[in-house]
Amino acid sequence: MSRRYDSRTTIFSPEGRLYQVEYAMEAIGNAGSALGILASDGVVLVGEKKVTSKLLQASRSAEKMYKVDSHLACAVAGIMSDANILINTARLHAQRYALSYQEPIPVEQLVQSLCDTKQGYTQFGGLRPFGVSFLFAGWDRTHGFQLYMSDPSGNYGGWKAAAVGANSQAAQSMLKQDYRDGMTREEAVALALKVLSKTMDSTSLTAEKLELAEVFLQPGTGEVQYQLCSPDAMGKLLAKAGLTQPAPEA
Amino acid sequence: MLGHKPSLPLPPHRTPRSAVSANLATPAMSIFEYNGSAVVAMVGKNCFAIASDRRLGVQLQTVATDFQRVFKIHGKLYLGLSGLATDAQTLYQRLVFKHKLYQLREERDMKPETFASLVSALLYEKRFGPYFCQPIIAGLGEDNEPFICTMDCIGAKELAKDFVVSGTASESLYGACESMYKPNMEPEELFETISQALLSSVDRDCLSGWGGYVLVVTPTEVQERVLKGRMD
Repeated sequence: MSRRYDSRTTIFSPEGRLYQVEYAMEAIGNAGSALGILASDGVVLVGEKKVTSKLLQASRSAEKMYKVDSHLACAVAGIMSDANILINTARLHAQRYALSYQEPIPVEQLVQSLCDTKQGYTQFGGLRPFGVSFLFAGWDRTHGFQLYMSDPSGNYGGWKAAAVGANSQAAQSMLKQDYRDGMTREEAVALALKVLSKTMDSTSLTAEKLELAEVFLQPGTGEVQYQLCSPDAMGKLLAKAGLTQPAPEA
Repeated sequence: MLGHKPSLPLPPHRTPRSAVSANLATPAMSIFEYNGSAVVAMVGKNCFAIASDRRLGVQLQTVATDFQRVFKIHGKLYLGLSGLATDAQTLYQRLVFKHKLYQLREERDMKPETFASLVSALLYEKRFGPYFCQPIIAGLGEDNEPFICTMDCIGAKELAKDFVVSGTASESLYGACESMYKPNMEPEELFETISQALLSSVDRDCLSGWGGYVLVVTPTEVQERVLKGRMD
């Protein structure tokens, strides 16, 4: 069709499309999904782990959730190696800001700077775009809790609830129906698990396949806290939501 | 350890407006003595204490009496910085930058020994235009074993098993600590000892004092205390 306009990121097709960017989004559509929901007292991020093999070394670090600064975290969907580069860039940028201004970086500014980097790869240099979509969750003093979604083109938006990765369209429409303003974190977690269980390809939802992270204010000190759910707590949450299914025969 | 102290240029001549600048034309003061400081750290039984004075001066004039010289890096690691105040603040901010990235990448806190190496490397990078600070690092290692060390302004580490001192009052502090210190003190006794050593030493130094700030860290808790000494 318009194959001759595919190979370079830096040119438009006659229909006004950037094929490389769209192909990047295709790649993300095959990756494990991630959901983010903004609650009144925090932000909830849930991710589906694509690779779960018994042979995989149990790692303490998360596969889909990354802390960017004390008040900022992100969930990732797409090519993990691309994501690692961008997360490093984000972490450095956040610290440089903190060094200059002695203040934590506002969430939108960090998202914007990362998206500026991503945009550069769609306009010059001749390098392919990053095959990653992010869901950023954070808190700052001016705007409180925020959730942002960004894609390989460098576009980003603030969302109340968003989904990236496999079956994100289905997840997004489900979220649109069931999301209510002023949800608490607990309700948001329950909603996220419900939506994921319906849209995930896997037949059974077990704690090993999911990652859950929350950004909230510590009740006593008022400091922003990023907490990754432990596998045990994850299991309990799934049971509470009535979503656990018997593990398949090995 | 670095012995030669670079000297500050004389202040420019100006019509005397206050008694301070008129007759007391200050002699060339070392840059390390510009703000005045006293920092000390001691090892106890499964705990450590780090303390500093609270004076911030501009040569002979006292400008603040609540100046912070002991900074937290993480729950079990503290950094005390004596010397030029602006360098102390900047050095601390740059170390926080590096430590935060370390924490994010390695998903754990830095060990005190590692942090000491980091500080040393950071200081040596400025070998020919140094930070005019003498840091003291005090922390509890992985097995909660207390660790203290100090280094000169270009990063020469000095590990010690008992105590380390720095600042304009360092000579008095050496004497006070040497005589008052004994090994394996419990936190309460360690607090008393370090406080007495600090207060008696800063009293002998006109550039440091105006109270003290003492931190005693055990594996389970951190106790901060502010001392009231001779307020001069």
